[in-house]
Amino acid sequence: MLSYLLAILIIVGVYTLLTQCLNLHYGFMGLINFGVVGFFAIGAYTSALIAIAGYPILLGVLGAIVLASLSAWPLGVLATRLREDYLAIVTLGFAEVVRIVVTSESWLTNGVQGLPGIPQPFSSLGPNAQGLAFLGIVLACNLAVLALIMRLAHGPFGRLVEAIRDDEVAASALGKYPTGPRIQIFMIGAGIAGLAGALYGHYISYIVPDQFVPIVTFYVWMAMIMGGVGSLPGSFIGAAILIGLFEGTRFIDDAFPGSIGVEMASLRLVFIGLALVLFMRFRPQGIMGTRMQS
Amino acid sequence: MLTMYFNLVVNGIVLGLVIGLAALALTLVYAVARFPNAATGDMITVGAYAGIGVQVLGSRNTLLQGSAAIAACTILSMAYYWFVFRYLRGRGMVALLLTSIGLALFTRGILSFFAGHEQFVFQIPLVEPYVIYGVIIQASDLWLAVVALLSVVATFAILFLTPIGRRMRAVADNRDLARASGIRAESVMIPLWGIVGAVSAIAGIILGIKTVVMPETGWLLLLPSFTAMILGGLGSPIGAVLAGIALGVAQEVASPFVGFTYKIAVSFLVLLVLLIVRPQGLFGSLEEVR
Repeated sequence: MLSYLLAILIIVGVYTLLTQCLNLHYGFMGLINFGVVGFFAIGAYTSALIAIAGYPILLGVLGAIVLASLSAWPLGVLATRLREDYLAIVTLGFAEVVRIVVTSESWLTNGVQGLPGIPQPFSSLGPNAQGLAFLGIVLACNLAVLALIMRLAHGPFGRLVEAIRDDEVAASALGKYPTGPRIQIFMIGAGIAGLAGALYGHYISYIVPDQFVPIVTFYVWMAMIMGGVGSLPGSFIGAAILIGLFEGTRFIDDAFPGSIGVEMASLRLVFIGLALVLFMRFRPQGIMGTRMQS
Repeated sequence: MLTMYFNLVVNGIVLGLVIGLAALALTLVYAVARFPNAATGDMITVGAYAGIGVQVLGSRNTLLQGSAAIAACTILSMAYYWFVFRYLRGRGMVALLLTSIGLALFTRGILSFFAGHEQFVFQIPLVEPYVIYGVIIQASDLWLAVVALLSVVATFAILFLTPIGRRMRAVADNRDLARASGIRAESVMIPLWGIVGAVSAIAGIILGIKTVVMPETGWLLLLPSFTAMILGGLGSPIGAVLAGIALGVAQEVASPFVGFTYKIAVSFLVLLVLLIVRPQGLFGSLEEVR
């Protein structure tokens, strides 16, 4: 029971990181990122490959953050020039291309078979102690990211970002150009998603391209919307509700043994889709948010 | 060697017409509601599955399958508007886009729950292909291209030759001015969403006959279709169809060089170059693009 609880909490932690990334992009800067899963995948694969090659796990995690950030740079440059709906389409396409690359380039990523045996940290400890230690790491990462975002949001940089978001023309007229901050925010957020991917890979210890389908991006959007756009505690609450619902559907699985796997995947789609439609219609500000940008 | 490219071009034209139809459905919604309708892809999937449904029930008549698809998608599309999008007017692009993604996931979930995740194929009679100087043209391809072109022509006829089409274009052009002239935007929305559904249905049937039918069929078409919509100039129906054909041919001709799996990446590349070089599309519209 304890190991089950630990597993759930760790996955909630990973999704909280992803939700914080999206909150930074969309809630803070107004960038519509439909490619969260692309950065997540880049992080997971980078860290896994570095660790499998025999280098320390920490190096892999750092590599994941750096590579995910760098991959966001060209998109960030584009983001400064594009209308918001174009950016949505471009980032969606980016995530699909990432998935195609990790599926096709088997020499590097082992293609559809995926990467098994990704080294796990603290493997010398017992299973429960290992889980607890990993949870500690995930928690620490979340707090570090939270501190980083708070620092960004409440400093001069935060005021600059808010000015740009609320009125780009006025900010430019005061000599505050939007290009730099947009690219920086895009890259920092992508690095957070890369970190989440690295943690996920080292925890699950087995990754395949099928774990990085576009729906994951919309799980994260759902978590952000449920928690409240722009609300950082909401990131955790949204992610917790999301994973709670997923685990709940697993109990339905146990109760009706006939309806396993494939049907469950369909029902999740139905559920997430319906929830997204209903939230946008009736409660766009989320369960505890106050503000929804349009 | 050269004939291989001609064969790819022929194949690309048919697939390009499918992309063009999807882009037409996207651009019609964009013109009046100002958002990229991500539910279009799964609407196309519904069309393909409606045709498969008729086949499972025992009829191999393509006309009957097509009619079932058109009926299903037209009703579904109007229902999307009536029960969902109607309430979101003036709520901004993000809300509409997210809602359309929600509808897309919902639709695909329902479909795959009942139809499963295995692939279906349309059983069409095998006919000796035409061979012209070594270029192989399947009789079915010819028919599919004709059907696609006819549906494009029919859509344009409605848009440009009928009173309701004129009202649709008026609303797309300037909602307030149309209203001042006594055109109620709501009265054109239902027929417009109906046309969008019918166009998606035909795209779904053609795509189903050309390839295989699975729950992701339409979703995978979404990226090339978005690209074709932007390439053709947002809100320009003719541009969308022409850009779709161009993109289809580009994808097919590129596939021997980049490999089959990277075909979809071709449209992403086109999209990136396009957005950097000419974001207003080839047939640049009045719309401000930045």
